[in-house]
Formats: sequence, C-alpha cells, structure tokens
Amino acid sequence: MRDCEAIKKSLGAWLDGELDAAQAAEIQLHVQGCASCSDEKGRLERLDFSLKRLLETNASQIDFKTFWAGVSQRIAADVSWSTRAMDWVRAVFFTPRLKWAVSATVVVLVAVLSLDQFFPGWRGNGQTNMASVESIDGHGFNVALLREAKTKTTVIWLFENQESEDETPTESASGDTAF
Amino acid sequence: METTEWELIRKCQKGEVAAYEELAAKYYRRVFMVILGMVHHRDDAMEVAQETFYRAFKNIRRFKGGSNFYTWVYRIAVNLAIDFQRRQKRSLMDLKENMDEVVVDAETSSGDPFREINDRRLGEKLLHAINELTPDHKAVIVMRAVEGLSYKEIGRIMECSEGTIMSRLHYARKKLQEKLGTDL
Ligand SMILES: [Zn+2]
Repeated sequence: MRDCEAIKKSLGAWLDGELDAAQAAEIQLHVQGCASCSDEKGRLERLDFSLKRLLETNASQIDFKTFWAGVSQRIAADVSWSTRAMDWVRAVFFTPRLKWAVSATVVVLVAVLSLDQFFPGWRGNGQTNMASVESIDGHGFNVALLREAKTKTTVIWLFENQESEDETPTESASGDTAF
Repeated sequence: METTEWELIRKCQKGEVAAYEELAAKYYRRVFMVILGMVHHRDDAMEVAQETFYRAFKNIRRFKGGSNFYTWVYRIAVNLAIDFQRRQKRSLMDLKENMDEVVVDAETSSGDPFREINDRRLGEKLLHAINELTPDHKAVIVMRAVEGLSYKEIGRIMECSEGTIMSRLHYARKKLQEKLGTDL
C-alpha cells in the first residue's frame, strides 16, 4: 500500500484516466477512506475546472467572422504574392525564352552551314558546300532565307517581330475579329 | 477521422479556401482557448490563432491524415505560442491590464454576484499563476485541462514522451495549487 504522499503524486494522472486498472482501483480505494487525499482530489478538479471555464468564457466571445477575416486576409496576401511571383517568372523566363530559342536556332543553323567556309571539307567529302543567309524585316515579321548551293535547298524562316508582338497584343486580337 | 472532415481536408489540399473556412469554423475556438492560456493577452491570442490557421492552410498538403486534424493544428498553435512568448517581453503593467480584461469578461457570463466575486479573484490569481510557468508547462496544463487531450496526444503535439507529459503536468498543477492557496 502506498502512503498519502505517493497517492497524491498520482492523483492527477488518475483523474486524467491515464493509470492502468489496478493502479486506478488502488487510488480510488485510498481516496474514499482518506480525507486529506480526498481534499487534494477536490482541489485538482477545481483547478482544471476554473482554468477551463476562464478560457472557454473568453473564447466564446470571439466571433468567427472577425476571426476568419484575419485568416483569409493572410491567405489572400499569400496567393497574390505567389501569383505575382509566377507572373514575374513567366515574364522573365518563359516568353523571351521562346523568342530567344527562335533566334538561337537561326544563329546555330547559320553557324553550322558556314563551317565549310572556314574549315573546307570538314564533312569529309572535300567539296565546298556554300550556304547563304539573308534576313528581311517585314511588317511585324522577320524573314530569314537560307540558301544552300550544293543541295539546292532553300529554307524560309518566318518569325514574329518581337517589338511588334509586345506592343500590340490587343490590336492584333481585335483585328482578327474584324475579319 | 470522419469522412466529411477528410473530404474537407482533401478539398483544402486542392486549394479550396471555402472548404478551409468550414474546417476553421469548427476548430477556431478550441485553438484560440489553448493559445489564450499560453499568451494571456486576447489580442495576442487572436493574432497567434489567425497565424496558426493561415500556416495550417499553407502546409495542409503535408497533412496525411495519420492523426486528428485538430492535434495537427495544435502542434502549429503551440509552437507559434511558445515562439511568441519567447519573443514577447511584456511589461508588468501591460500584463496587469490584459489580465483585468480577460477576467472581467469571464465574470460577465455568470448570473450569481457572489460567485462572480470569487470567480474574478480566482481568475486573476489563476492567470498570474499560469503566467509564471514555463511555456512548456503552460502548454500541457492548458491542453489537458481545457481540451482533455490524452497524454499520448499531448506527447505527439509536444514531440516528447508520455512520461514527460505526466511529470510536466504534475509539476504545473503543483505550482498552480501553491500559488492559488486557499482560493482553490
Ligand atoms: Zn491519503
């Protein structure tokens, strides 16, 4: 049998329902026959009850609308921040990347086809394979013309003028509907 | 976990704010209570509780359903409240002011004038006493007394063993009883 001091140490856990059946039975029996431990049990119960009541009363005065306003504001601010960040990422990387990819492809093609001028016979057949590239600025479009004499191949490369696209997106859209 | 709650969570994980509003409506008072018990000032508790629900929404994809939603939210709440207390060094004057505010409001809900006086005195003493506990001790006593969470659940939230929770609770209750003396 444990003494009052040991029982009092376990009273909290007993009231919380955290002891096994044997321990719980021992404490219950002791408390029933001991005024001091019974009094301690009452004090513990009043402590938890008072704390709960105090906090519950205060929490009951907080209305959800006011509470939610603060939460949704934070969510909205976060969403608009991430939207702005995505717009920025798109503006910086996505659109220009496409444009640069087009231009870069033209440059690489020209470079590859011009190799014969500097290193004749690099392909191993010893023949000169001259290619020429011409570029024409059209109205809203750029045209690149690639001519290769040996295979008599002509490649016409048509791509949108960057400046024209950036400046008049709405104009072209309205132009389409007009037709 | 109830199916409907899990459905709400799945919607939240897809970014549906309206579904999250439903979840928040269900739990905001419980979370607010726990935070108020730890930070004491109602405006501060409101701030921390709102931040808790914002962070929970932001990280809701990480919630896999292994535990109850509210214990998951409590973990965020308790961590934020502990951080808040460490940052906040409120003056004694400030503290006195906010305690009066909390206790007076608690008093108005009672209809019995005699009980109101006792409640007010006990409430004031209780808040003073709790404020002298460490953040960890405050967290366990509030979660147990207010929410009735099991030691296992509190241990999961605080990331420590059930034995630690039991000894923290014993210590916190003993300290509070000492402070409250004959008022209890
Ligand atoms: Zn005894």
